[in-house]
Amino acid sequence: MNRFIKRRVLVLFLAGLLVPVAANAGITDIITLLTTISSTLQNAIGTVLGGIQSIRTTITQFEQQVVWPVALINETKNEVAQVRSQFSTLARQIETLPTSSASLANPKQLEGLLRSQQAANLPQINSFYTQVFQTLPPADQATTTQRNLIDVDDALALGALKTATASDQGSQQMLSIADSLEQEAAASAPGSAPIVTAQTAVANLQNQAMLQRLLAAELRQEAARLAHENALRKQSADANRTLRNNLQQILSR
Amino acid sequence: MNISRLRNLVNRAWMAMKWKKSIYVALLLLALMIVPLSSRGQLGLDPCCAIISAGLNAISGLLKSVVAKPLSQIQQIEQQASSFEQQVVFPTTAINNARSVATQLQAQMGQINQLFRLPVNSATLPTPQQLEQSLLSHNPQLLAQVSQNYGAVYGTVMAPTDAPQPVRDLVDMSDAEAQAALKKAVELDALADVELAVADQINKQIQTAAPGSAPILEAQASAWLVRANAYTQSAMAEVLRVRSIDLANSGAQFKFNATDVNTLRNNTGQAMGHGAQ
Repeated sequence: MNRFIKRRVLVLFLAGLLVPVAANAGITDIITLLTTISSTLQNAIGTVLGGIQSIRTTITQFEQQVVWPVALINETKNEVAQVRSQFSTLARQIETLPTSSASLANPKQLEGLLRSQQAANLPQINSFYTQVFQTLPPADQATTTQRNLIDVDDALALGALKTATASDQGSQQMLSIADSLEQEAAASAPGSAPIVTAQTAVANLQNQAMLQRLLAAELRQEAARLAHENALRKQSADANRTLRNNLQQILSR
Repeated sequence: MNISRLRNLVNRAWMAMKWKKSIYVALLLLALMIVPLSSRGQLGLDPCCAIISAGLNAISGLLKSVVAKPLSQIQQIEQQASSFEQQVVFPTTAINNARSVATQLQAQMGQINQLFRLPVNSATLPTPQQLEQSLLSHNPQLLAQVSQNYGAVYGTVMAPTDAPQPVRDLVDMSDAEAQAALKKAVELDALADVELAVADQINKQIQTAAPGSAPILEAQASAWLVRANAYTQSAMAEVLRVRSIDLANSGAQFKFNATDVNTLRNNTGQAMGHGAQ
């Protein structure tokens, strides 16, 4: 009988252990959890979002009012257009003022060609140049040295004149490019202006190359002038030597 | 007899029932363990459920006011900023127009380059022709020929027997400067060719440039411009030198004349003295 009682007690004890107990988290715990979530939303997330919103607003206002104010951009565009119409026309008027002043027929024709700003006229310059500055003397009228000097002087002078004429046409085209760039600047936006600026820098580089071509021609001319004078000294020395030799021959007779 | 048998039977049944009872009790307990307990909390009857509900409502309100509202405003600001950038700062039309201008300029620049490639030579005699050819060659490799051809046209320094040393020095210096200037002109032409090639290449890149990459190209073109200015400056220095030597020659000529006049005066004085004696 005791055995049966002990068994029953044991069964009941085990059953008691296995019966699930209700999970009582406690109201305090739930309140703490909800308070933590609310606090996180308000402080950690809400404050940060508010800060981001404030910063973004400030940046946007700064960009629109200080960096790229639409009114100022439009005003600048109008200014560019106004300067272009006002000063480029004035510059054009100054630049096209006639500077020719030859009065005789041949010089007039040569001058007209030289100031024509047309590279297509280059072949004609030779003939009008010889009409004004004469042709190379024939071999029986000058020494070979003299003829060489005259020929190279003429060649370098003509070369410089032709280069100047071609350069004039190039300058006109460069002015056209400058005008196009200015026109584009007047219609550009802050974002497209760097492209126009880059083109301007490229055109400037090309302009510098043209200037160097002219300088090269000037250098040749200046060098030829110096060389010519020097050659005359050499010829003078040669002439003196010849004279000395001749005098010695005469005196020795 | 029958009564005792019946009693035995009852006893056995009672014993059997006692065993079964234990089993039934155990089964009943097991069933109690397995049967799920009903969950409480619905219908707001439990005070715990009311607190949770209030908390969740508060959280929902916070999500709307503290999170959703600022996010919506941020989105609005971003949209406005995006629209501003696309319409005012970086409008695609203006960018494409700027690129198309670069394409147009490419053709114009090509025409300008051709202008400076037109032949300008005009010497007629063989020796000047050779000199002119080397001078207009745009080829720095031919610089050695410049000196050779120069000597053929302008001659070399006279022999010591033909001129006093000061005159020979002057002539040599003048020849040196004239040749240097001519060589510099050849170098300058070659450098201009290089610069034009660079300008052409950069301009091609500009045709596909973006607002963000254009400043890089501008910086490159500007750097080349600085370089070109330096070359121009170098050429200007050469112009100065050649003109200075020319000016110095003129001065030297006056000095030679003064010396010659002085010599003539002394010689005349001596001759007059001899005549008087």
